[in-house]
Amino acid sequence: MEPIYQYAWLIPVLPLVGAIFVGLGLISFNKTANALRQLNAVFVVSMLGAAMVLSFVLLWSQVHGHEPFLRTFEWAAAGNFHLTMGYTIDHLTAFMLVIVTTVAFLVMIYTDGYMAHDPGYVRFYAYLSLFSASMLGLVVSVNLVEVYIFWELVGMCSYLLIGFWFDRKAAADACQKAFVVNRVGDFGLLLGILGLYWATGSFDFEVIGDRLQQLITSGTLSVGLASLFGILVFLGPVAKSAQFPLHVWLPDAMEGPTPISALIHAATMVAAGVFLIARMFPVFEGLPVVMSVIAWTGALTALLGATIAITQNDIKKGLAYSTISQLGYMVLAMGVGAYSAGLFHLMTHAYFKAMLFLGSGSVIHGMESVVGHDPALAQDMRLMGGLRKYMPMTALTFLVGCLAISGIPPFAGFWSKDEILEAALTANPLLWIVGWLTAGITAFYMFRMYYATFEGNFRGNESQLRQQLKTESNEMAYAFGPGAMDPKELTLPSPSQTSDHNAHTHSSSPHESPLTMTLPLLILAVPSALIGLLGTPIDNFFEGFIHAPGKAMEVMETAAEFNWTEYLVLASASVGIALVGITLASLMYLRHQIDPKAIADKIQPLYQFSFHKWYFDEFYESVFVRGCRRLARQILEVDYNVVDGAVNLTGFVALLSGEGLKYLESGKAQFYALVIFVALLGFVIVAA
Amino acid sequence: MNTAEFPWLTTIILFPILASFLIPFIPDHEGKTVRWYALGVGLLDFALIVYTFYTQYDFSDSGLQLVESYAWVPQLGLNWSVAADGLSMPLILLTGFITTLATLAAWPVTFKPRLFYFLILAMYGGQIAVFAVQDMLVFFLVWELELIPVYLLLAIWGGKKRLYASTKFILYTAGSSLFILIAALAMAFYGDSITFDMRSLGLKDYSLNFQLLVYGGFLIAYGVKLPIVPLHTWLPDAHGEATAPVHMLLAGILLKMGGYALIRMNVEMLPEAHVYFAPALIILGVVNIIYAALTSFAQRNLKRKIAYSSISHMGFVLIGIACFTDLGLSGAVLQMVSHGMIGASLFFLVGATYDRTHTLILDEMGGVAKKMPKVFAMWTTCSLASLALPGMSGFVAELMVFVGLATSDAYNPTFKVLVLFLAAVGVILTPIYLLSMLREIFYGPENKELTDHEVLVDAEPREIFIIASLMVPVIGIGLYPKMLTQIYDAKTLQLVARGRELVPTLTRPNTSVKIAEGIKFVEQPTQAPAIPSLEASK
Repeated sequence: MEPIYQYAWLIPVLPLVGAIFVGLGLISFNKTANALRQLNAVFVVSMLGAAMVLSFVLLWSQVHGHEPFLRTFEWAAAGNFHLTMGYTIDHLTAFMLVIVTTVAFLVMIYTDGYMAHDPGYVRFYAYLSLFSASMLGLVVSVNLVEVYIFWELVGMCSYLLIGFWFDRKAAADACQKAFVVNRVGDFGLLLGILGLYWATGSFDFEVIGDRLQQLITSGTLSVGLASLFGILVFLGPVAKSAQFPLHVWLPDAMEGPTPISALIHAATMVAAGVFLIARMFPVFEGLPVVMSVIAWTGALTALLGATIAITQNDIKKGLAYSTISQLGYMVLAMGVGAYSAGLFHLMTHAYFKAMLFLGSGSVIHGMESVVGHDPALAQDMRLMGGLRKYMPMTALTFLVGCLAISGIPPFAGFWSKDEILEAALTANPLLWIVGWLTAGITAFYMFRMYYATFEGNFRGNESQLRQQLKTESNEMAYAFGPGAMDPKELTLPSPSQTSDHNAHTHSSSPHESPLTMTLPLLILAVPSALIGLLGTPIDNFFEGFIHAPGKAMEVMETAAEFNWTEYLVLASASVGIALVGITLASLMYLRHQIDPKAIADKIQPLYQFSFHKWYFDEFYESVFVRGCRRLARQILEVDYNVVDGAVNLTGFVALLSGEGLKYLESGKAQFYALVIFVALLGFVIVAA
Repeated sequence: MNTAEFPWLTTIILFPILASFLIPFIPDHEGKTVRWYALGVGLLDFALIVYTFYTQYDFSDSGLQLVESYAWVPQLGLNWSVAADGLSMPLILLTGFITTLATLAAWPVTFKPRLFYFLILAMYGGQIAVFAVQDMLVFFLVWELELIPVYLLLAIWGGKKRLYASTKFILYTAGSSLFILIAALAMAFYGDSITFDMRSLGLKDYSLNFQLLVYGGFLIAYGVKLPIVPLHTWLPDAHGEATAPVHMLLAGILLKMGGYALIRMNVEMLPEAHVYFAPALIILGVVNIIYAALTSFAQRNLKRKIAYSSISHMGFVLIGIACFTDLGLSGAVLQMVSHGMIGASLFFLVGATYDRTHTLILDEMGGVAKKMPKVFAMWTTCSLASLALPGMSGFVAELMVFVGLATSDAYNPTFKVLVLFLAAVGVILTPIYLLSMLREIFYGPENKELTDHEVLVDAEPREIFIIASLMVPVIGIGLYPKMLTQIYDAKTLQLVARGRELVPTLTRPNTSVKIAEGIKFVEQPTQAPAIPSLEASK
């Protein structure tokens, strides 16, 4: 097996080579490269396919008990400072490699159908490949600095992909927002890394953990300071995994094409935060304050995402908030020390959420043939309905996804979510209550989404409704556009960016998507339904494979003293609340026995609170965005008037005094002598 | 001929200058022959630089190499002495590289081409001389001489306010360089012997008060050049009016002279004063980073925006210089080289964009990506490089400065935490202004007012070539920084080791004693190799 490990670096490098080739082709021979559309795609996909095969082999080898592998080289050095980079293959890495490559592979196949008519088809593949390379690099990283490097690179790919349709104003704003919000997290991560390095002299996860414990026990480093460093590092995952309060970028990121919403903003990149917490586990677990901050952030985020998802009308935004909520679960799991449970949920979520997003993409693709290429219309669930008839495959797979995320056994989400809730209960009953309630809300909003989209009658042809949604979206754009610095904006005719394609809509009913799109959906449905069986409490294969470093023994012990009654009570409680949620949703949106509008009117403030996403965007806009602009403008004024003013004043005074003095140049020697005499006198008096 | 005896550096300096004198005699029509001539001279000289350093220079030696010294005016003790060490070598390479590319960037210049290329070539030699000369008085002379071509390039080929800008530039920089002269003379006449040789000056035993005074004088002069806020206001004006090639030289090389001289004179010759001034440098560095990032964000003029961003990036050089760690100083040098290339590429793009849009006001642009996808791609790459994206050199430089400061034992933890926090705020501010800029130029719906009036053609091969040549080393260093750092490592190590001997005067064990002990506890294993070498050098 050794040669495989020697060449494991190929896994991130292969997609990188794909991206570089296609990218260079685009720059040097733009026309030709763009003309060879599918050839490029096949090249990129096969590169990633090779990486996927390698990843599977590595996983197989790791499952069969191969030793972890590590290889490093010196990357930067100055004096006695040496920074190494390299790659490592252990259980966690092999597991993440497989998730990332499989999802990326399927998403790339799907892309061929989804982007078939887009002029940026080839560029999109180049970006996708670049992202895959960075993400795989992040996974195999050996130390914090290397993680930070790839962490930023996946952020850059996310920026490029969100802003892929650069002529849409909303996309332009969203990509900048995503990058800047992530930089806020990186700011914390960077400071945390620096702090930990200062304290322990190392960037290695386990070395940091060991030395930090030594320092704390010997009393040389206060627990408070160590915890502060831990929390700073945690800020990185807070931004990347869209946790409260830095979650605001993820819903906006839905402006990007749907395949990347599935790959980056559901399955892989946003899960990188959870991955980093897992990597940092040796450091965090010794710091109870940090652990509880992580747990509570996760719980709050889970609740926040779910409560907002209830009222969203945009199918992708709804899924985005659901992602935020599910990421909250994972972070919560990490915070209560349920290492394997968190990663287990990461895996199940990666598959079912990628499928849900691809399903929503398929829906949008179908809707676009009716309402045109306007995201404000094509993604609005109020215009959908009854799509099951037109797109049965999509509907079926979407239903599997909804069941999985709602936690109905035996679908994947049940096993992982239940394990998290169980761990939360042992840690703090309050955390369990939050998680449990969220599970109910999750089931409710997911089935609301399913019923509104796939059941009932198709509403896409109601022109009055369309018009109304259009005006709404325009108003929204005025109210929340982060680019308010541009005064011309208000005079632009249509900020919602209705592109020119709007006019030609082909048909009055949506159609099922091509095979390249439905096939990945069907393939993803298999793990979404079944992969949870890897982690059943009866035979927890998953936990035996993925467990916190140095926790192997404990896992065995807990497995031995497994309590059936307790387990069944908990499981039925969570299934019960999920069923309540589903029933409510079907009463409201399938049978229309309860009018959701009446309820919304009754609890108007609460409804508005949820609808406006807890007013985070408004708050950040008025405090940070405007505040930053105001400060910048004031400083520039100071720069012009005070700093530069002083310089110009000096010049002016010099000019004036020169002009004034020239009248004293009379050419009379006596006068000069007088001046010299007076000056001398002055010096003498001062000196005396 | 013995290659070791050959006056390599003198040849490198004089060749472009002498070649520039031939320009008036070249038969030429509308500058088409002259530009090829200038490019050829630039390339030849750059090749000579590369060859010299490749064959004649030993990277592991921290001392001066390629030393040449000729008596110039013996009555004054004035010598033409040039040499290179780890500090000047990367910057000489950078100068050759950027100036050659600037010649290529000047391709569309049609107004008075003979004079233009004459000045560019004269600057070529002048700039290298600044980095190579080892005689204080000659240093002052070349420092002043190199201002004249810049002044003319600004005043003749500049924008609308070029006279104001060039006058401001010349008064500002010439005025400030008076301090160099005064300080140099003071140092030369201090003590028993009168000498202008930098090495001998560095060995003189100055009193502390004298050092502080001289240090202050140098700081003003180099602070204008670097620039340090609040001595920076010439730069937005000069940059705002310059044409693209002049821009590339200003940002790519001229700013680096400030940093170079600061290390060469203030750190190397006046180490005791440096201990006192270092905290001030760090504070100034932080102010640079944040202040200029904010002003850049508020700027609506593209050129001035990038100009302010240069100021912001130079803040890291200041912090790196004052860290008293190998990593910090190494990061400062790397930041100079890295910004030399990134800054030059951004300014080149500004010029290329202006050639098409004929406006620099952001409000008058918007949505031009559709017409110019290649320009868009280049802008994105260079902006990402400028905002210190990992995988590019800017990131490595900033990271080294950050880690260098974090591990520095010269400052108390509270001060470090505060500085690191504020400098890291710069990490958030940089993408804000750079990405806003990209958004306003390229993203969104097309600005009809602009696209109706201007023909927006996409980038031509020459432009792509220039950006590619600048980005290849930027990415190369970003992927494997040792490639560059190892060629000057010996020098920075020696400098820092010398500076650190004097540091204990600065360490005041106060505030949290526990943490201070904590550092020692852990740093012992990592710092172990350094301690013997420190003692050995005593």
